[in-house]
Amino acid sequence: MSRFFSGSALSLGVVRTIVCGTFLIATLATSFQALGQLPVTILRPTGLMKFIPWGFYERLLTPVGMYSLKTALLLSLLLSTMGFLTSASTKCSLVLVVFYQGLVRSFGHYNHDEMVAVYYLAILAFTPCGDAFSFDHWLRLKKPNQPPFAYGFPVFLMQLLMAWVYFSSALVKLRVAGLTYLSADNFPVLAIFHSLDNLHDTNFRLAFWLPQIRSVLPFVVGLVLVWELLFPLAVFWRRSRWLMLGLGIVFHIATLLFMNIFFPYQLAMYLVFVDWDWVAGWMKRS
Amino acid sequence: MKPHTSRYWIIKYTIVTFALFTPLLWSFRYIRNAYPFTVWNVMMAGGDLQTGRNFFVLRGETVSGQTIDIRPIKLTNALSARTWTMVSATVFNQNFRLSSLHPENTRLLDQFGSVEKLPLGARVPELLTTWGNLYNNQLPSSSPARLKAIRLDMYRWSSGRYADYDTFVESWRKEL
Repeated sequence: MSRFFSGSALSLGVVRTIVCGTFLIATLATSFQALGQLPVTILRPTGLMKFIPWGFYERLLTPVGMYSLKTALLLSLLLSTMGFLTSASTKCSLVLVVFYQGLVRSFGHYNHDEMVAVYYLAILAFTPCGDAFSFDHWLRLKKPNQPPFAYGFPVFLMQLLMAWVYFSSALVKLRVAGLTYLSADNFPVLAIFHSLDNLHDTNFRLAFWLPQIRSVLPFVVGLVLVWELLFPLAVFWRRSRWLMLGLGIVFHIATLLFMNIFFPYQLAMYLVFVDWDWVAGWMKRS
Repeated sequence: MKPHTSRYWIIKYTIVTFALFTPLLWSFRYIRNAYPFTVWNVMMAGGDLQTGRNFFVLRGETVSGQTIDIRPIKLTNALSARTWTMVSATVFNQNFRLSSLHPENTRLLDQFGSVEKLPLGARVPELLTTWGNLYNNQLPSSSPARLKAIRLDMYRWSSGRYADYDTFVESWRKEL
């Protein structure tokens, strides 16, 4: 088991850059000013967000409020991506990202795309992820002086979390729908429903072709369930890793093209399965 | 940071693992989402052809007299992947069914007496005004492509077959 837990400071540092960098890029590309113009009266605070008073939302959903939130997010995520004052900046990023993701979910629904990355941020906030591949290291504020377990276990935990996402998703489907989940109409009905409006992020129309092949769709849905149930192999059996992740990429591209539902954050988080020490060694050699 | 022993990290990571997985397992056990904890219940129920479904199309009427489709993701991109549920929840007045209502919503609810007596989409006009203004702000004031009105059209797919997807139900229109 110890081979799963052993890792390097470099590997953990790269993962920190990927996770925080993903949120940083997304924040840069998002119009907070437009979000701030939405009427606060349509907000439906979810979970933890219910504990925040309406007066706070009133002040937040203004040009000044949203500008302040975006500035704080950008600054904090930039520092944690760079690995500067890492211990404080990753914790600050965690708090701000949890708040922001809760805010957008309070307008819409509790979707799952970003959640794995949010949990990765939570894990990183309590690790020595600034000991290498960071400004803290280059400025000699930190050095990789912890045992390999301190760097390896967080990455293992992140991989385990990704496996839980797919594995539990398959179990929930089987618990709720049972074998009716394999009905011929399941996939085409959902896909067409998500292709009828113009409120989704994309407007692919491939779903309307699915009824023509509905007899084979139970097998396709069944294979997806099997893949989800077997995803933990990607953590424990390295030889299967690239097959499982490759199927994951195909799956998420298919949900985009057929259902107009995409999980970009989740795909970006597949990078925690890369052996970054090997990549660094290969780059040095070449 | 001073070097810590393996024992220190084992204890610390045990706490982190339990703090993360205990609520996740609870969410999974009861299939309940309690932000920031979640159960991955996407598409868990599957699709049924006989169940009717509502959907919405956002449209604008331009100054030049054209009717155009408007994609809200280009106006409020922060709501990525969540716009369709925000619209549906607003149309069905889900924002009036909270344990703690926004004071303005409480006032409106008092006028009507109960959620059931509220007109469908009580807050849709405000949402349409926001989207209409955001759209027009992207264009010069003299542009014929600017909107004079914006509307949300609601349709229902209840045919029970793979045809006749868009039976018109209702429309909300807002002059800008």
